[in-house]
Amino acid sequence: METEIIFETQNLTKQFGALVAVDGVSIKVRKNSLHAIIGPNGAGKTTFFNLLSGNIEPTSGKVIFKGQDITHQPVHRTIHYGIGRSFQITNIFPNLTVFENIRLAAQAMGQDNFKFWQAASRFKQYEARTMEVIQKVGLKDRVHTLARTLPHGDQRKLELGMILAPDPEVLLLDEPTAGMAAEQVPELIALIQEIQKAGNKTVMLVEHNMNVVMSVSDAITVMHLGKVLAEGTPSEIAANKEVQTAYLGGLYELNV
Amino acid sequence: MKKFFSANRGSLFTLLVLILMPFIVGLFDGASPATVFVNGSGQAKFIEGLAIEIFILAVYAISFDLIFGITGLLSFGHSMFFAVGAYLTGIAIKSFGYSLLPTLGLIFVGAVVQALLFALVLPRVKGITFALVTLGLGSVFHILVMSSEMGKYTGSDVGLQGVIVPDFISPANERLRFYFVMLVVMILVYLIYQRFVNSPTGRVCVAIRENEGRARMLGYNTFYFKLAALTLSSLTAALAGFFHTLYQPIVSPNVAGMGFTVTALLIILIGGVGTLNGAFVGAVMYRLLDYGLRRYIGESASFINGAIYVLFVLFIPYGIVGTWRLRSFEIKQGWERLLKLFGQ
Repeated sequence: METEIIFETQNLTKQFGALVAVDGVSIKVRKNSLHAIIGPNGAGKTTFFNLLSGNIEPTSGKVIFKGQDITHQPVHRTIHYGIGRSFQITNIFPNLTVFENIRLAAQAMGQDNFKFWQAASRFKQYEARTMEVIQKVGLKDRVHTLARTLPHGDQRKLELGMILAPDPEVLLLDEPTAGMAAEQVPELIALIQEIQKAGNKTVMLVEHNMNVVMSVSDAITVMHLGKVLAEGTPSEIAANKEVQTAYLGGLYELNV
Repeated sequence: MKKFFSANRGSLFTLLVLILMPFIVGLFDGASPATVFVNGSGQAKFIEGLAIEIFILAVYAISFDLIFGITGLLSFGHSMFFAVGAYLTGIAIKSFGYSLLPTLGLIFVGAVVQALLFALVLPRVKGITFALVTLGLGSVFHILVMSSEMGKYTGSDVGLQGVIVPDFISPANERLRFYFVMLVVMILVYLIYQRFVNSPTGRVCVAIRENEGRARMLGYNTFYFKLAALTLSSLTAALAGFFHTLYQPIVSPNVAGMGFTVTALLIILIGGVGTLNGAFVGAVMYRLLDYGLRRYIGESASFINGAIYVLFVLFIPYGIVGTWRLRSFEIKQGWERLLKLFGQ
C-alpha cells in the first residue's frame, strides 16, 4: 500500500551544548495515518516535536512538509502551513475565557487581525467556528469560564480545541492525556480518532499509555536517547526484542 | 438606546459631573455660573486647573496601561513618549514659530518615529531586558534635553519656558475652554482605546500578555501587534505631552526622567492594571493625594505618599477598578447561585 508522505524529517539533529537531544532522526509520516512516537523519558520526543513545529531550530537536518522545506520557518508560520501542535504542559491563555481562547485560535487564520477600528464581536465567522469546536471537544457548559479555573481534564480539552479551531491537516499532539483522570482518557482518545477519521487528518501522537498507543496507531516510531530505535506497525513494535529491553523493560505484557 | 444608558450608567454619570463641576464649585464659592463662564478668578478656576492636570495625567497613564496592562510590555522609558511630545511642542512653537496644527502634525511624526525606535529593540529583547533597554533609551533622551548643547532649544535643566500659547486656548484667560477641550480629548482617547482593546488586534495584544509563546503558536506574528500597541501608546502619550506644554508655564526636564515613568506606573497600579478606566481613577487619586498631602503636611508628604502606595499594593493589588470588577463579577455569580438554589 503506497500512500503519500505528508511529513518527513531528514537527519534531524538538535544539540543543547554537549547533549544531543535529537540525533539524526529521519522519519516519514504517511498522510491520514495516526503515527505514534514513543520512548522512555528523556528520549527526545518533545524536543523532536518542537523541531517539527518550529519552536526551536535544529542544529542540522531538514523538516519537509508536503515536499516543502520548512526547517527554518518562524514558529508563527507553522499553523498557516496546516500544522497544529498541542503541548504536554498545558499551554493556554489562563485569564481569558474558554470562548476567547478558542476564538483567538480561529481568528488567527483569517485576514482580519489588523482591523483595529472594528469590534472583534463583529466577525461572526470566528465565533461560529469557536462554538462548533467547543461543541466538539465537549466544553459547551464552560464557554464563559476562565481557562485557569477549569479542572485539568477540561484544560486538556481546551488545548485540543485550540488546535482544532484552525482546522490543520496535521495535528502534533504531545501527550494529550497527560495528567488526565484515567476514566477521561478513553473519551479523549475516541475524540482524537474520530477527528482523524472524519476529517482526513494526519495525527502524530506522543503518548505514554501503551494500551492507547497499541490500539489506535497505524505506525509507531520508538525513540531512545535521541535516536530512532525501531519503526513499524504496533504488532511489529510489540514483537521487537530491542524495544522490549530498552523501553518496555520486559515489565509490560503486551496483549496485542 | 435604553440599553446603552443602563450599561454605561457609571461613565455617563461621571461625565455629567465633570461637565457641571466648574459651575458647581463656583456656586459653592459664591460665584455665579456667568462669572465662571468668563473665567473669573476663584475656586472654580483653580479646580479647573487641577482637573486639567488630572486629565493630562490620565491620558498619559492610559497610554502606559495599553503597553503594560494590555500588551504586557514593561517599558521603563515611557516618560520619553510623553517628553518627546512636550518638548517638540515647546520647541516648535517657541523656536520655530509653528502654529498649533502643524505642531500636532510634527508630534504625530515624532511619536511614530520613536515607536519605530522602540520597535528596533522589540524583537531582540523580552521581559526585564526590554525594561532595561527602554530605560536606557529614555535616559539618553533625558540626558539630551538636559545637555547644555541643546539648552538653546530645551532650556536644559531649567526647563523649557516662554512658550506662547494662542489666546483662544490660553490656560490663563480661557481656562474653562481648555478644561473642556482636555475633557473631550480624554474621552476620545478613552473611546479609541476601548475600541482598540476590543478589536481583533487588541484581543491578540491581550493574548500576548497572557502567553506570548502560545500566541505565536496560534499563528500570530506578535511583533506587529506589539508594534501597533506601541505606536498607539506613543501617539497618545505625545498628545498628553502636547497639552502639558500648552498648560504649564514651564516644561520641567523631570518629565523625561525615570520618575515620571514611575508616575504612570503608580497611577495604573492605583486604578487597576489593564482596566483602561483605571488610568482616570488612578490619576484622580494620585493628583489629589499629592496635592492634599503637600498642602496639609508639607515637606514629609512624599514619605506619607510612598507609605500609602505600599499599603495600596499590599491591600488592593488589583487597583480600584480592578478590584471593583472582580467583586462585581463575584457578586453577580453569587446572585446566580442563589437564584439557582431557589429554582431547584
